[in-house]
Amino acid sequence: MLIETRNLTHIYMPGTPFQVEALKGINLGIERGEFVGIIGETGSGKSTLVQHFNGLLRPNSGEVLLEGRNIWAGEINLRQIRSRVALLFQFPEHQLFEETVFKDVAFGPRNLGLDGEELEGRVRYGLELMGLDYQAYKDRSPFNLSGGEKRRVAMAGILAMKPEVVILDEPSAGMDPSGRRHLLEQIETLHREENLTVVLVTHNMDEVSRLAKRLFVFSGGQLVLQGSPAEVFNSTAIIKEIGLDLPPLTALLQKLKESGQNIRTDLFSLEEAGKEILQHYQGG
Amino acid sequence: MRSITLGHYLPGNSLLHKLDPRVKLLSLLILIVALFLVKTFLGFLLFAAFMLIIFASSRLPWRYFLRGLRPILYIVLFTLILHFLFTEGGQVYWRWGPITIEEAGVYLGAFMTLRLVLLVITTLLVTLTTSPIAFADGIEFLLRPFRRLGIPGHEIAMMMTIALRFIPTLIEESDKIRKAQMARGADFETGNILRRARNLVPLLVPLFVSAFRRADELAVAMEARCYRGGENRTKLRELHTRPLDYFGIITVTGLVLAIVLTGV
Repeated sequence: MLIETRNLTHIYMPGTPFQVEALKGINLGIERGEFVGIIGETGSGKSTLVQHFNGLLRPNSGEVLLEGRNIWAGEINLRQIRSRVALLFQFPEHQLFEETVFKDVAFGPRNLGLDGEELEGRVRYGLELMGLDYQAYKDRSPFNLSGGEKRRVAMAGILAMKPEVVILDEPSAGMDPSGRRHLLEQIETLHREENLTVVLVTHNMDEVSRLAKRLFVFSGGQLVLQGSPAEVFNSTAIIKEIGLDLPPLTALLQKLKESGQNIRTDLFSLEEAGKEILQHYQGG
Repeated sequence: MRSITLGHYLPGNSLLHKLDPRVKLLSLLILIVALFLVKTFLGFLLFAAFMLIIFASSRLPWRYFLRGLRPILYIVLFTLILHFLFTEGGQVYWRWGPITIEEAGVYLGAFMTLRLVLLVITTLLVTLTTSPIAFADGIEFLLRPFRRLGIPGHEIAMMMTIALRFIPTLIEESDKIRKAQMARGADFETGNILRRARNLVPLLVPLFVSAFRRADELAVAMEARCYRGGENRTKLRELHTRPLDYFGIITVTGLVLAIVLTGV
Protein backbone atom coordinates (compact mmCIF):
# COMPACT_ATOMS: atom_id res chain seq x y z
CA MET A 1 0.00 0.00 0.00
CA LEU A 2 1.49 3.34 -1.04
CA ILE A 3 -0.81 5.71 0.84
CA GLU A 4 -3.00 4.61 3.67
CA THR A 5 -5.13 6.36 6.27
CA ARG A 6 -6.19 4.80 9.54
CA ASN A 7 -9.08 6.25 11.45
CA LEU A 8 -8.19 9.69 10.12
CA THR A 9 -10.16 12.48 11.80
CA HIS A 10 -9.77 16.17 11.17
CA ILE A 11 -11.46 18.98 13.06
CA TYR A 12 -11.23 22.61 11.95
CA MET A 13 -10.86 25.21 14.73
CA PRO A 14 -11.33 22.79 17.61
CA GLY A 15 -12.46 24.24 20.91
CA THR A 16 -14.13 27.32 19.39
CA PRO A 17 -17.78 27.96 18.56
CA PHE A 18 -16.78 27.54 14.90
CA GLN A 19 -15.62 23.93 15.32
CA VAL A 20 -16.30 21.66 12.30
CA GLU A 21 -15.57 17.97 12.08
CA ALA A 22 -14.45 17.72 8.45
CA LEU A 23 -13.33 14.08 8.42
CA LYS A 24 -14.68 11.35 10.64
CA GLY A 25 -12.56 8.24 11.02
CA ILE A 26 -11.48 7.60 7.43
CA ASN A 27 -9.84 4.28 6.49
CA LEU A 28 -8.63 3.88 2.94
CA GLY A 29 -5.66 2.72 0.91
CA ILE A 30 -4.18 3.57 -2.47
CA GLU A 31 -1.80 1.18 -4.26
CA ARG A 32 1.24 2.22 -6.28
CA GLY A 33 0.39 2.89 -9.91
CA GLU A 34 -3.33 3.19 -9.30
CA PHE A 35 -5.62 5.84 -10.77
CA VAL A 36 -8.23 6.61 -8.16
CA GLY A 37 -11.00 9.17 -8.07
CA ILE A 38 -12.41 10.98 -5.07
CA ILE A 39 -15.90 12.36 -5.46
CA GLY A 40 -18.41 14.04 -3.20
CA GLU A 41 -20.36 17.22 -2.80
CA THR A 42 -18.75 20.55 -1.92
CA GLY A 43 -17.86 20.43 1.77
CA SER A 44 -17.84 16.64 1.94
CA GLY A 45 -14.21 16.58 3.09
CA LYS A 46 -12.46 15.65 -0.18
CA SER A 47 -10.01 18.53 -0.20
CA THR A 48 -9.33 18.20 3.51
CA LEU A 49 -8.55 14.52 2.97
CA VAL A 50 -6.04 14.97 0.17
CA GLN A 51 -4.20 17.68 2.11
CA HIS A 52 -3.39 14.97 4.64
CA PHE A 53 -1.73 12.79 2.01
CA ASN A 54 1.32 15.06 1.81
CA GLY A 55 1.29 16.44 5.33
CA LEU A 56 -0.17 19.88 4.63
CA LEU A 57 -2.73 19.19 7.32
CA ARG A 58 -2.12 17.24 10.48
CA PRO A 59 -4.79 14.81 11.61
CA ASN A 60 -6.44 15.48 14.98
CA SER A 61 -6.49 11.74 15.48
CA GLY A 62 -5.63 8.72 13.38
CA GLU A 63 -2.68 8.12 11.07
CA VAL A 64 -1.52 8.79 7.55
CA LEU A 65 0.95 6.24 6.22
CA LEU A 66 3.28 6.48 3.24
CA GLU A 67 4.64 3.05 2.34
CA GLY A 68 3.57 1.81 5.76
CA ARG A 69 5.29 4.57 7.72
CA ASN A 70 3.33 7.10 9.73
CA ILE A 71 4.34 10.48 8.27
CA TRP A 72 3.83 12.24 11.61
CA ALA A 73 5.81 9.77 13.73
CA GLY A 74 9.49 9.83 14.57
CA GLU A 75 11.82 11.70 12.29
CA ILE A 76 9.46 13.84 10.22
CA ASN A 77 10.68 15.08 6.87
CA LEU A 78 7.69 16.77 5.35
CA ARG A 79 9.62 18.29 2.47
CA GLN A 80 10.74 14.87 1.38
CA ILE A 81 7.18 13.59 1.65
CA ARG A 82 5.89 16.52 -0.38
CA SER A 83 8.40 15.85 -3.12
CA ARG A 84 7.08 12.31 -3.38
CA VAL A 85 3.39 13.16 -3.06
CA ALA A 86 2.61 16.23 -5.13
CA LEU A 87 -0.60 18.14 -4.71
CA LEU A 88 -2.03 20.47 -7.28
CA PHE A 89 -4.72 22.76 -5.89
CA GLN A 90 -7.76 24.07 -7.65
CA PHE A 91 -6.86 26.95 -9.98
CA PRO A 92 -3.14 26.23 -9.70
CA GLU A 93 -2.35 29.17 -11.98
CA HIS A 94 -2.86 31.38 -8.91
CA GLN A 95 0.37 30.08 -7.42
CA LEU A 96 2.62 31.37 -10.23
CA PHE A 97 4.96 34.09 -9.04
CA GLU A 98 8.27 34.15 -10.91
CA GLU A 99 9.43 36.41 -13.72
CA THR A 100 9.85 33.62 -16.24
CA VAL A 101 8.24 30.28 -16.89
CA PHE A 102 11.62 28.62 -16.40
CA LYS A 103 12.10 30.07 -12.93
CA ASP A 104 8.59 29.20 -11.86
CA VAL A 105 8.78 25.59 -12.99
CA ALA A 106 12.23 25.36 -11.41
CA PHE A 107 10.93 26.47 -8.00
CA GLY A 108 9.91 22.98 -6.88
CA PRO A 109 13.00 21.09 -8.15
CA ARG A 110 15.26 23.82 -6.76
CA ASN A 111 13.67 23.31 -3.34
CA LEU A 112 14.69 19.67 -3.70
CA GLY A 113 18.27 20.87 -3.97
CA LEU A 114 18.71 20.45 -7.72
CA ASP A 115 20.89 22.82 -9.71
CA GLY A 116 22.56 23.42 -13.07
CA GLU A 117 21.99 20.99 -15.87
CA GLU A 118 19.92 18.64 -13.79
CA LEU A 119 17.55 21.49 -12.95
CA GLU A 120 17.29 22.51 -16.58
CA GLY A 121 16.55 18.93 -17.52
CA ARG A 122 13.73 18.79 -14.98
CA VAL A 123 12.17 22.01 -16.23
CA ARG A 124 12.33 20.74 -19.81
CA TYR A 125 10.85 17.42 -18.70
CA GLY A 126 7.95 19.11 -16.88
CA LEU A 127 7.12 21.54 -19.67
CA GLU A 128 7.28 18.91 -22.38
CA LEU A 129 5.08 16.52 -20.42
CA MET A 130 2.44 19.26 -20.42
CA GLY A 131 2.90 19.78 -24.15
CA LEU A 132 4.68 23.14 -23.87
CA ASP A 133 7.72 23.76 -26.03
CA TYR A 134 10.72 24.40 -23.78
CA GLN A 135 12.50 26.93 -26.01
CA ALA A 136 9.34 28.86 -26.83
CA TYR A 137 8.09 29.19 -23.27
CA LYS A 138 11.05 29.23 -20.92
CA ASP A 139 11.74 32.97 -21.08
CA ARG A 140 8.17 34.21 -21.18
CA SER A 141 6.46 35.75 -18.17
CA PRO A 142 3.90 33.36 -16.69
CA PHE A 143 1.55 36.32 -16.22
CA ASN A 144 1.29 36.93 -19.96
CA LEU A 145 0.09 33.45 -20.84
CA SER A 146 -3.46 32.37 -21.56
CA GLY A 147 -5.47 30.71 -18.77
CA GLY A 148 -4.94 27.23 -20.14
CA GLU A 149 -1.20 27.77 -20.63
CA LYS A 150 -0.85 29.14 -17.10
CA ARG A 151 -2.48 26.05 -15.70
CA ARG A 152 -0.18 23.80 -17.69
CA VAL A 153 2.86 25.73 -16.49
CA ALA A 154 1.65 25.28 -12.91
CA MET A 155 1.24 21.55 -13.51
CA ALA A 156 4.66 21.37 -15.13
CA GLY A 157 6.06 22.91 -11.94
CA ILE A 158 4.65 19.98 -9.98
CA LEU A 159 5.67 17.29 -12.46
CA ALA A 160 9.23 18.64 -12.67
CA MET A 161 9.64 17.41 -9.10
CA LYS A 162 9.11 13.86 -10.44
CA PRO A 163 6.70 12.82 -7.74
CA GLU A 164 5.47 9.27 -7.27
CA VAL A 165 1.93 10.39 -6.60
CA VAL A 166 0.08 13.32 -8.10
CA ILE A 167 -3.07 14.56 -6.41
CA LEU A 168 -5.17 16.77 -8.63
CA ASP A 169 -7.92 18.88 -7.06
CA GLU A 170 -10.42 19.77 -9.78
CA PRO A 171 -7.72 20.07 -12.45
CA SER A 172 -10.10 20.99 -15.25
CA ALA A 173 -12.34 23.45 -13.40
CA GLY A 174 -13.07 26.54 -15.47
CA MET A 175 -11.51 25.22 -18.69
CA ASP A 176 -13.14 24.90 -22.07
CA PRO A 177 -14.02 21.39 -23.33
CA SER A 178 -11.02 20.98 -25.64
CA GLY A 179 -8.55 22.25 -23.03
CA ARG A 180 -10.17 19.94 -20.53
CA ARG A 181 -9.89 16.92 -22.81
CA HIS A 182 -6.30 17.75 -23.65
CA LEU A 183 -5.30 18.09 -20.01
CA LEU A 184 -6.93 14.83 -19.00
CA GLU A 185 -5.35 12.98 -21.90
CA GLN A 186 -1.97 14.18 -20.73
CA ILE A 187 -2.64 13.00 -17.21
CA GLU A 188 -3.79 9.65 -18.49
CA THR A 189 -0.67 9.27 -20.64
CA LEU A 190 1.54 10.11 -17.66
CA HIS A 191 -0.24 7.54 -15.58
CA ARG A 192 0.20 4.87 -18.25
CA GLU A 193 3.74 5.59 -19.35
CA GLU A 194 5.43 6.73 -16.15
CA ASN A 195 3.41 4.47 -13.86
CA LEU A 196 2.42 7.59 -11.95
CA THR A 197 -0.08 7.14 -9.15
CA VAL A 198 -2.91 9.61 -9.71
CA VAL A 199 -5.57 10.80 -7.28
CA LEU A 200 -8.23 12.82 -9.04
CA VAL A 201 -10.61 14.93 -6.94
CA THR A 202 -13.52 16.13 -8.99
CA HIS A 203 -17.17 17.03 -9.44
CA ASN A 204 -17.17 15.81 -13.00
CA MET A 205 -18.63 12.30 -12.91
CA ASP A 206 -18.13 11.77 -16.61
CA GLU A 207 -14.37 12.40 -16.42
CA VAL A 208 -13.79 10.37 -13.33
CA SER A 209 -15.84 7.38 -14.47
CA ARG A 210 -13.75 7.07 -17.61
CA LEU A 211 -10.35 7.65 -16.05
CA ALA A 212 -10.31 6.19 -12.56
CA LYS A 213 -10.17 2.49 -11.85
CA ARG A 214 -11.38 2.93 -8.30
CA LEU A 215 -13.56 5.55 -6.69
CA PHE A 216 -13.97 6.82 -3.15
CA VAL A 217 -17.25 8.56 -2.46
CA PHE A 218 -17.44 11.09 0.38
CA SER A 219 -20.39 12.66 2.11
CA GLY A 220 -20.44 14.72 5.30
CA GLY A 221 -16.84 13.82 6.17
CA GLN A 222 -17.40 10.10 5.81
CA LEU A 223 -16.34 7.54 3.22
CA VAL A 224 -19.73 6.22 2.17
CA LEU A 225 -18.85 4.12 -0.85
CA GLN A 226 -15.82 2.72 -2.63
CA GLY A 227 -15.21 0.42 -5.56
CA SER A 228 -14.88 0.41 -9.33
CA PRO A 229 -16.85 3.02 -11.28
CA ALA A 230 -19.30 0.30 -12.25
CA GLU A 231 -19.89 -0.71 -8.64
CA VAL A 232 -20.18 2.86 -7.44
CA PHE A 233 -22.49 4.19 -10.12
CA ASN A 234 -24.73 1.17 -10.01
CA SER A 235 -25.40 1.99 -6.35
CA THR A 236 -27.69 4.61 -7.81
CA ALA A 237 -29.77 5.09 -4.65
CA ILE A 238 -26.78 6.09 -2.51
CA ILE A 239 -25.31 8.35 -5.19
CA LYS A 240 -28.62 10.20 -5.53
CA GLU A 241 -29.14 10.38 -1.78
CA ILE A 242 -25.86 12.19 -1.13
CA GLY A 243 -26.61 14.69 -3.87
CA LEU A 244 -24.32 13.49 -6.67
CA ASP A 245 -25.18 12.85 -10.31
CA LEU A 246 -24.56 9.81 -12.46
CA PRO A 247 -22.29 10.18 -15.47
CA PRO A 248 -24.62 11.03 -18.40
CA LEU A 249 -23.71 7.80 -20.16
CA THR A 250 -24.54 5.67 -17.13
CA ALA A 251 -27.80 7.53 -16.70
CA LEU A 252 -28.71 6.71 -20.32
CA LEU A 253 -27.80 3.03 -20.03
CA GLN A 254 -29.75 2.74 -16.79
CA LYS A 255 -32.81 4.36 -18.38
CA LEU A 256 -32.64 1.84 -21.22
CA LYS A 257 -32.35 -0.98 -18.75
CA GLU A 258 -35.29 0.31 -16.73
CA SER A 259 -37.42 0.35 -19.86
CA GLY A 260 -36.96 -3.39 -20.05
CA GLN A 261 -33.91 -3.70 -22.30
CA ASN A 262 -31.32 -6.26 -21.27
CA ILE A 263 -28.34 -3.95 -21.53
CA ARG A 264 -25.03 -3.56 -19.67
CA THR A 265 -24.78 -0.51 -17.43
CA ASP A 266 -21.10 -0.79 -16.52
CA LEU A 267 -19.62 0.87 -19.60
CA PHE A 268 -18.05 4.30 -19.36
CA SER A 269 -16.48 5.12 -22.69
CA LEU A 270 -18.57 6.48 -25.51
CA GLU A 271 -17.27 3.87 -27.96
CA GLU A 272 -18.08 0.88 -25.77
CA ALA A 273 -21.50 2.15 -24.80
CA GLY A 274 -22.30 2.98 -28.42
CA LYS A 275 -21.32 -0.49 -29.53
CA GLU A 276 -23.40 -2.08 -26.80
CA ILE A 277 -26.49 -0.11 -27.75
CA LEU A 278 -26.07 -0.77 -31.46
CA GLN A 279 -25.45 -4.45 -30.89
CA HIS A 280 -28.46 -4.71 -28.67
CA TYR A 281 -30.87 -3.05 -31.05
CA GLN A 282 -29.51 -4.53 -34.28
CA GLY A 283 -28.92 -7.97 -32.83
CA GLY A 284 -32.15 -8.18 -30.83
CA MET B 1 -3.40 35.14 11.84
CA ARG B 2 -6.91 33.77 11.78
CA SER B 3 -8.04 35.27 15.07
CA ILE B 4 -8.32 39.01 14.68
CA THR B 5 -10.27 39.68 17.86
CA LEU B 6 -9.35 43.29 18.42
CA GLY B 7 -12.64 45.10 18.03
CA HIS B 8 -14.20 42.26 16.09
CA TYR B 9 -17.98 42.68 15.84
CA LEU B 10 -19.98 40.20 17.90
CA PRO B 11 -23.58 39.93 16.66
CA GLY B 12 -26.19 40.30 19.38
CA ASN B 13 -29.57 41.64 20.27
CA SER B 14 -28.92 43.93 23.23
CA LEU B 15 -29.97 47.55 23.66
CA LEU B 16 -26.48 48.65 22.71
CA HIS B 17 -26.56 46.54 19.55
CA LYS B 18 -29.85 48.09 18.54
CA LEU B 19 -28.73 51.66 19.08
CA ASP B 20 -28.45 53.74 15.93
CA PRO B 21 -24.81 53.61 14.70
CA ARG B 22 -24.81 57.41 14.28
CA VAL B 23 -25.74 57.81 17.92
CA LYS B 24 -23.07 55.35 18.95
CA LEU B 25 -20.37 57.10 16.94
CA LEU B 26 -21.39 60.54 18.12
CA SER B 27 -21.52 59.33 21.72
CA LEU B 28 -18.10 57.78 21.31
CA LEU B 29 -16.76 61.10 20.10
CA ILE B 30 -18.35 63.00 23.00
CA LEU B 31 -17.14 60.45 25.55
CA ILE B 32 -13.58 60.62 24.24
CA VAL B 33 -13.62 64.40 24.60
CA ALA B 34 -15.04 63.97 28.10
CA LEU B 35 -12.22 61.62 29.03
CA PHE B 36 -9.75 64.35 28.30
CA LEU B 37 -11.71 66.86 30.35
CA VAL B 38 -11.78 64.70 33.47
CA LYS B 39 -9.40 66.15 36.09
CA THR B 40 -9.78 63.91 39.13
CA PHE B 41 -9.89 60.24 40.04
CA LEU B 42 -13.46 60.75 41.19
CA GLY B 43 -14.31 61.75 37.63
CA PHE B 44 -12.77 58.53 36.30
CA LEU B 45 -14.69 56.56 38.90
CA LEU B 46 -17.99 58.06 37.74
CA PHE B 47 -17.03 57.51 34.13
CA ALA B 48 -16.10 53.89 34.82
CA ALA B 49 -19.39 53.33 36.62
CA PHE B 50 -21.24 54.69 33.59
CA MET B 51 -19.25 52.35 31.30
CA LEU B 52 -20.03 49.43 33.57
CA ILE B 53 -23.75 50.09 33.20
CA ILE B 54 -23.36 50.27 29.43
CA PHE B 55 -21.26 47.11 29.39
CA ALA B 56 -23.95 45.30 31.38
CA SER B 57 -26.58 46.47 28.90
CA SER B 58 -24.47 45.22 25.99
CA ARG B 59 -24.57 41.64 27.28
CA LEU B 60 -21.14 40.96 25.80
CA PRO B 61 -19.27 37.98 27.27
CA TRP B 62 -16.71 39.60 29.62
CA ARG B 63 -14.01 37.10 28.73
CA TYR B 64 -14.21 38.02 25.07
CA PHE B 65 -14.28 41.68 26.02
CA LEU B 66 -11.17 41.44 28.18
CA ARG B 67 -9.35 39.66 25.38
CA GLY B 68 -9.93 42.75 23.28
CA LEU B 69 -8.02 44.75 25.90
CA ARG B 70 -4.97 42.53 25.80
CA PRO B 71 -3.21 44.25 22.87
CA ILE B 72 -2.90 47.52 24.84
CA LEU B 73 -1.33 45.81 27.84
CA TYR B 74 2.19 46.70 26.72
CA ILE B 75 1.31 50.31 25.97
CA VAL B 76 -0.20 50.58 29.44
CA LEU B 77 2.90 49.09 31.08
CA PHE B 78 5.14 51.35 29.03
CA THR B 79 3.17 54.45 30.07
CA LEU B 80 3.28 53.43 33.72
CA ILE B 81 7.01 52.78 33.73
CA LEU B 82 7.85 55.97 31.89
CA HIS B 83 5.86 58.08 34.33
CA PHE B 84 7.17 56.24 37.37
CA LEU B 85 10.74 56.78 36.31
CA PHE B 86 10.79 60.19 34.73
CA THR B 87 8.08 62.36 36.28
CA GLU B 88 9.51 64.15 39.26
CA GLY B 89 7.98 65.95 42.20
CA GLY B 90 6.54 65.32 45.63
CA GLN B 91 7.53 62.66 48.09
CA VAL B 92 10.18 60.09 47.08
CA TYR B 93 8.79 56.55 47.56
CA TRP B 94 11.70 54.50 46.41
CA ARG B 95 15.31 55.12 45.43
CA TRP B 96 17.94 52.96 43.81
CA GLY B 97 21.02 54.81 42.64
CA PRO B 98 19.94 57.49 40.18
CA ILE B 99 16.50 55.90 39.75
CA THR B 100 13.70 57.28 41.89
CA ILE B 101 9.97 56.80 42.03
CA GLU B 102 8.23 59.92 43.20
CA GLU B 103 4.72 60.90 44.19
CA ALA B 104 3.92 62.90 41.07
CA GLY B 105 5.10 60.04 38.85
CA VAL B 106 2.84 57.51 40.54
CA TYR B 107 -0.07 59.91 40.43
CA LEU B 108 0.37 60.86 36.79
CA GLY B 109 1.14 57.28 35.73
CA ALA B 110 -2.03 55.97 37.29
CA PHE B 111 -4.00 58.87 35.83
CA MET B 112 -2.74 58.34 32.29
CA THR B 113 -3.19 54.59 32.49
CA LEU B 114 -6.78 54.94 33.63
CA ARG B 115 -7.49 57.36 30.83
CA LEU B 116 -5.97 55.01 28.27
CA VAL B 117 -7.84 51.95 29.53
CA LEU B 118 -11.16 53.79 29.66
CA LEU B 119 -10.54 55.11 26.16
CA VAL B 120 -10.09 51.62 24.81
CA ILE B 121 -13.03 50.23 26.78
CA THR B 122 -15.31 52.92 25.39
CA THR B 123 -14.15 52.30 21.84
CA LEU B 124 -14.42 48.53 22.19
CA LEU B 125 -18.00 48.84 23.42
CA VAL B 126 -18.86 50.53 20.15
CA THR B 127 -16.86 48.37 17.75
CA LEU B 128 -17.92 45.09 19.35
CA THR B 129 -21.61 45.92 19.10
CA THR B 130 -21.73 47.64 15.70
CA SER B 131 -21.59 45.67 12.46
CA PRO B 132 -18.99 47.01 10.01
CA ILE B 133 -21.72 48.00 7.57
CA ALA B 134 -23.68 49.95 10.18
CA PHE B 135 -20.41 51.51 11.24
CA ALA B 136 -19.68 52.69 7.70
CA ASP B 137 -23.24 54.01 7.35
CA GLY B 138 -22.77 55.99 10.54
CA ILE B 139 -19.46 57.42 9.39
CA GLU B 140 -20.95 58.39 6.08
CA PHE B 141 -23.73 60.30 7.83
CA LEU B 142 -21.41 62.04 10.25
CA LEU B 143 -19.07 63.08 7.44
CA ARG B 144 -21.92 64.64 5.50
CA PRO B 145 -21.44 68.19 6.84
CA PHE B 146 -17.83 68.11 5.65
CA ARG B 147 -18.74 67.52 2.05
CA ARG B 148 -18.51 71.24 1.37
CA LEU B 149 -14.89 71.03 2.42
CA GLY B 150 -14.35 68.37 -0.22
CA ILE B 151 -14.37 65.33 2.07
CA PRO B 152 -16.10 62.49 0.18
CA GLY B 153 -18.00 60.82 3.04
CA HIS B 154 -19.78 58.25 0.93
CA GLU B 155 -16.60 57.16 -0.82
CA ILE B 156 -14.72 56.85 2.44
CA ALA B 157 -17.51 54.72 3.91
CA MET B 158 -17.60 52.57 0.78
CA MET B 159 -13.85 52.03 0.91
CA MET B 160 -14.10 51.00 4.56
CA THR B 161 -16.87 48.53 3.83
CA ILE B 162 -14.99 46.96 0.94
CA ALA B 163 -11.73 46.74 2.87
CA LEU B 164 -13.44 45.01 5.80
CA ARG B 165 -15.32 42.72 3.47
CA PHE B 166 -12.10 41.47 1.88
CA ILE B 167 -10.09 40.74 5.02
CA PRO B 168 -11.43 37.19 5.47
CA THR B 169 -11.16 36.53 1.72
CA LEU B 170 -7.51 37.53 1.65
CA ILE B 171 -6.72 35.47 4.74
CA GLU B 172 -8.26 32.44 3.09
CA GLU B 173 -6.43 33.15 -0.13
CA SER B 174 -3.05 33.52 1.56
CA ASP B 175 -3.64 30.25 3.37
CA LYS B 176 -4.32 28.51 0.07
CA ILE B 177 -1.27 29.94 -1.69
CA ARG B 178 0.93 29.15 1.30
CA LYS B 179 -0.16 25.52 1.10
CA ALA B 180 0.29 25.40 -2.66
CA GLN B 181 3.88 26.63 -2.34
CA MET B 182 4.56 24.31 0.58
CA ALA B 183 3.45 21.48 -1.68
CA ARG B 184 6.24 22.62 -4.02
CA GLY B 185 8.74 22.39 -1.19
CA ALA B 186 8.66 26.03 -0.06
CA ASP B 187 9.81 26.59 3.49
CA PHE B 188 8.15 29.35 5.52
CA GLU B 189 9.16 28.21 8.96
CA THR B 190 12.94 28.00 9.28
CA GLY B 191 15.95 30.25 8.72
CA ASN B 192 16.87 33.72 9.95
CA ILE B 193 14.75 36.81 9.41
CA LEU B 194 16.36 37.76 6.10
CA ARG B 195 15.93 34.28 4.71
CA ARG B 196 12.36 34.08 5.88
CA ALA B 197 11.55 37.43 4.31
CA ARG B 198 12.97 36.25 1.01
CA ASN B 199 11.03 33.02 1.28
CA LEU B 200 7.82 35.04 1.50
CA VAL B 201 8.12 36.18 -2.12
CA PRO B 202 6.35 33.10 -3.52
CA LEU B 203 3.49 33.90 -1.15
CA LEU B 204 3.29 37.66 -1.55
CA VAL B 205 3.49 37.93 -5.33
CA PRO B 206 0.49 35.67 -6.01
CA LEU B 207 -1.38 37.31 -3.13
CA PHE B 208 -0.92 40.79 -4.62
CA VAL B 209 -1.77 39.56 -8.09
CA SER B 210 -4.99 38.04 -6.81
CA ALA B 211 -5.86 41.11 -4.72
CA PHE B 212 -5.50 43.29 -7.80
CA ARG B 213 -7.52 40.84 -9.86
CA ARG B 214 -10.29 40.87 -7.27
CA ALA B 215 -10.26 44.64 -7.08
CA ASP B 216 -10.50 44.84 -10.84
CA GLU B 217 -13.37 42.36 -10.98
CA LEU B 218 -15.20 44.21 -8.24
CA ALA B 219 -14.74 47.52 -10.05
CA VAL B 220 -16.12 46.05 -13.27
CA ALA B 221 -19.07 44.51 -11.41
CA MET B 222 -19.87 47.85 -9.75
CA GLU B 223 -19.52 49.68 -13.03
CA ALA B 224 -21.80 47.16 -14.74
CA ARG B 225 -24.46 48.03 -12.15
CA CYS B 226 -23.95 51.72 -12.90
CA TYR B 227 -22.53 52.43 -9.46
CA ARG B 228 -21.76 56.07 -8.90
CA GLY B 229 -20.80 57.28 -5.47
CA GLY B 230 -22.05 60.24 -3.53
CA GLU B 231 -24.93 62.47 -4.54
CA ASN B 232 -28.50 61.36 -3.94
CA ARG B 233 -28.07 57.66 -3.48
CA THR B 234 -30.83 55.96 -1.54
CA LYS B 235 -29.97 53.26 0.95
CA LEU B 236 -30.94 49.65 1.37
CA ARG B 237 -30.99 50.12 5.12
CA GLU B 238 -32.35 53.53 6.07
CA LEU B 239 -31.19 54.66 9.49
CA HIS B 240 -34.01 55.61 11.82
CA THR B 241 -33.61 57.30 15.17
CA ARG B 242 -35.93 56.01 17.88
CA PRO B 243 -36.70 57.19 21.43
CA LEU B 244 -33.93 54.94 22.75
CA ASP B 245 -31.42 56.78 20.56
CA TYR B 246 -32.49 60.21 21.85
CA PHE B 247 -32.28 58.87 25.38
CA GLY B 248 -28.76 57.64 24.68
CA ILE B 249 -27.42 60.85 23.23
CA ILE B 250 -29.06 62.98 25.96
CA THR B 251 -27.58 60.80 28.70
CA VAL B 252 -24.11 61.00 27.21
CA THR B 253 -24.30 64.77 26.71
CA GLY B 254 -25.63 65.15 30.25
CA LEU B 255 -22.71 63.20 31.62
CA VAL B 256 -20.20 65.33 29.82
CA LEU B 257 -21.86 68.55 30.90
CA ALA B 258 -21.81 67.27 34.46
CA ILE B 259 -18.10 66.59 34.20
CA VAL B 260 -17.34 70.02 32.78
CA LEU B 261 -19.59 71.95 35.17
CA THR B 262 -18.59 70.18 38.39
CA GLY B 263 -14.95 70.10 37.36
CA VAL B 264 -14.33 66.57 38.64
